[in-house]
Amino acid sequence: MTFAVYLPLLMALPLTFTARWFARRGAPGPAAWTLTITAIAAAACSSWSLTLLTLTLFDDVPPLKALDDSPTVELPEPVPGPVALLAGLLLLTAGWRLLADLHRRLDTNRRLRAIGTAAFGLVVADWPAPLAVAVPGRSRRPGHLLLTTGILRLLDADERAVVVAHEQAHLRHRHHLFAAAAGAAAAVNPLLIPAREAVDYLVERWADEDAAADVGDRDLAAQAVARAALATTASTGVLGISGGAAVQRVLALSEPPPAPHRRRLAVPLMLGLALLSVATFATVEFVELARAWLVASA
Amino acid sequence: VTTKDGRRAPGTLEAAVMGVLWAADAPLTATDVQRAVGGDLAYNTVQTILIRLHEKGSVERRRQGRGHLYWPVQDAATTAASQMRATLADRADRHAVLQHFAATLDESDAAVLHKLLTDARRKRRP
Repeated sequence: MTFAVYLPLLMALPLTFTARWFARRGAPGPAAWTLTITAIAAAACSSWSLTLLTLTLFDDVPPLKALDDSPTVELPEPVPGPVALLAGLLLLTAGWRLLADLHRRLDTNRRLRAIGTAAFGLVVADWPAPLAVAVPGRSRRPGHLLLTTGILRLLDADERAVVVAHEQAHLRHRHHLFAAAAGAAAAVNPLLIPAREAVDYLVERWADEDAAADVGDRDLAAQAVARAALATTASTGVLGISGGAAVQRVLALSEPPPAPHRRRLAVPLMLGLALLSVATFATVEFVELARAWLVASA
Repeated sequence: VTTKDGRRAPGTLEAAVMGVLWAADAPLTATDVQRAVGGDLAYNTVQTILIRLHEKGSVERRRQGRGHLYWPVQDAATTAASQMRATLADRADRHAVLQHFAATLDESDAAVLHKLLTDARRKRRP
């Protein structure tokens, strides 16, 4: 328990630095899947490491403690007390942040579902702000679109078809689950925040590609995204921090449809495998340590 | 709008018709709607959709000549707007959770988009 157990805590770092690059090119669907799964694996492994480290605190319980002080038995080097304590605190924080993130998403979805009564999968809100939202359904329910009159009046009939196809793609592929999974991973392990942002971007790209295929016109799709983005900024007066995303989406649509980049997908997958092996190794080490303690105390 | 297997996603035509009705300043006839939706929608299809939307309480209509004039129901949309406003205003970070069709931009992004938009339009309508 000296090295392997700490490794998963840092193994999200390659993902931290490559998530953006990874999201930039290639078909968005496979990239979103790969990145989401790897992020979950990284978050699970780092939490498992924190759990193992925290569990070593139990060597301070009195019977084992007495044993530790007895000079006659030789025991494996456990994790230093302060490190184990810190791991416990980090684990608690991670758990708290995870619950907060889940609650926030569920609460927002519940409130969005409560807006209006959907007819033919659509609720219209008479509001000048140009907004289009895919409201996820519950369990097997299909969900619906929430469109403001602002966006309906802003766009022409062809562009409206793009928006509708885009939001329907979010519902069809259950993109909110990708966003929630990546969000949960980032809540547990802040090193994964760039991965969460990349997944959020990738599901938008995915819906863009679906919409472009549905209307059969990439330039039309690009135009609809660009006009909606410009109008959103103009009407809300909010200067975005992630606005570059809209530009990237329009640029991507002005290029030919992307093919999956298999080699690119291999990078996060390898990382995921490496994480699992290190976590397994750390677990074996922990079990050996625990067994040594138990044998000594018997 | 069709899915990859060639079927329209459910609600697509209804959404197109609702979009036309909301974007219009005045009540429309079925012929007006058909023209505004564009594409190759048959008059009868548009007529059927309008009747179904009327039955669901999404649009109102009154007789005019041999047909009807249609317009969207206002009350439900006004209520929905105030609920939506309340939901989004409640916490700033809700915006991060929502999957918006469009993100907000900074000034240089907006300039880039304006240029891309002009190019895209030139390509579409030479």
